[in-house]
Amino acid sequence: MSDERPKEPTDATQSTGWRAYRREITFLVVFLVLLAGSFTLISWNPVNDLVIEPFTGGVAVVSGWTLDLIGQDVEMQGTVIRNSRFAVNIMNGCNGVETMLIFLSAVLAFPAPWKMRLAGAAFGVVAIQLVNLLRVVALFLTGVYFPDFFDASHTVVWQTVVILCGVLLWIVWADRVARPAPAAAKSA
Amino acid sequence: MARRGKASGKATGKAKGALRPKAAPPAERFSTPRLLRNLALAALPVVLLWLALTPFYNRFLIAAGGNLVRLTEVPNATELVPALEDRHYALVVRTDFPPATRRVGSFRVTDLHFHLLLLGTLFLAVPGVPWQERLRNLGWALLAAVCFHVVLVLLWVKFQYATQLGDWSLEHYGPAARNFWGLAKHLADLPVKLGLPLGLWVVFYLDRLLPRREAM
Repeated sequence: MSDERPKEPTDATQSTGWRAYRREITFLVVFLVLLAGSFTLISWNPVNDLVIEPFTGGVAVVSGWTLDLIGQDVEMQGTVIRNSRFAVNIMNGCNGVETMLIFLSAVLAFPAPWKMRLAGAAFGVVAIQLVNLLRVVALFLTGVYFPDFFDASHTVVWQTVVILCGVLLWIVWADRVARPAPAAAKSA
Repeated sequence: MARRGKASGKATGKAKGALRPKAAPPAERFSTPRLLRNLALAALPVVLLWLALTPFYNRFLIAAGGNLVRLTEVPNATELVPALEDRHYALVVRTDFPPATRRVGSFRVTDLHFHLLLLGTLFLAVPGVPWQERLRNLGWALLAAVCFHVVLVLLWVKFQYATQLGDWSLEHYGPAARNFWGLAKHLADLPVKLGLPLGLWVVFYLDRLLPRREAM
């Protein structure tokens, strides 16, 4: 793959029928295949045990440190974070991996140079993990101070927010990648 | 932004009278700041609407999903009923089981469609698109999502039958069937459900992100 900005076929405007949507169809097919493949992969026991579980443990540790930093005085027991008023267990699904896979599938399916895909993937993964950290901390604080709202906040609000952040990151990245380069703009 | 506008303007000028079809002008690209602003503005109305409609939509899904399940079984033995204690849940009842064990499982119906929050917000927030077109696209996306939800109810019920009922599951579902329903429910309930809003959004708006198809 070259690192040139993508060049479009010059006769694309003449395409008719389904060919006019070739790029959309290609994106969707690759996106769905990557999405289903990656989710199947992480549900495979060896991958889950060797990769996902330790990663989830890491998320729990960082979340515990962060909660300590803001004065929650928590203690860790495996993936359980607890203080005198509340406890949460960080499990698969709380680790931001689903959103990362959606984002990565969309980045890899988008027609862009590999260098930009890798840069976007690296930046996106870090950003999504930061949002997920915010989510865990916010959920813990919700459990401590507004326990009645914990369930709705856990299953609906924050899950939507984290995925929305992943989708937005992809849109922003794709928009930047797809802009014509200055040289291309001059020669156009 | 200026750079992009300049580039596309020049290219359009060069293409004039050559290859560009008159009836199909390329979609205008949108600006990310306007998209973010629109997302913030659209989020609250979408959340309120979803909260208001969820009890009705849950009932619809339980009825429609129950009908679809019964289409796939002979004799008809499945009934899906709303849980009295929590309106977000559906109970799976088998009428061919003894009365004491008829309630074979349950699932949270609201969890099947919370991604509508994401879908509604994304579709309403696209800048530079007339409201009529936004709403029409949202309507098509919602139709696709409703069909997906009904199928997801079927997958949840079949998953429970195939894998959660112990000896009864082993007796009625072979290894291949158990794996099929387990994987189908897993994929539909996680990647497809979570990726559906983005996938549907891409169907309607990817051409605003992709590099322009310019005639040279």
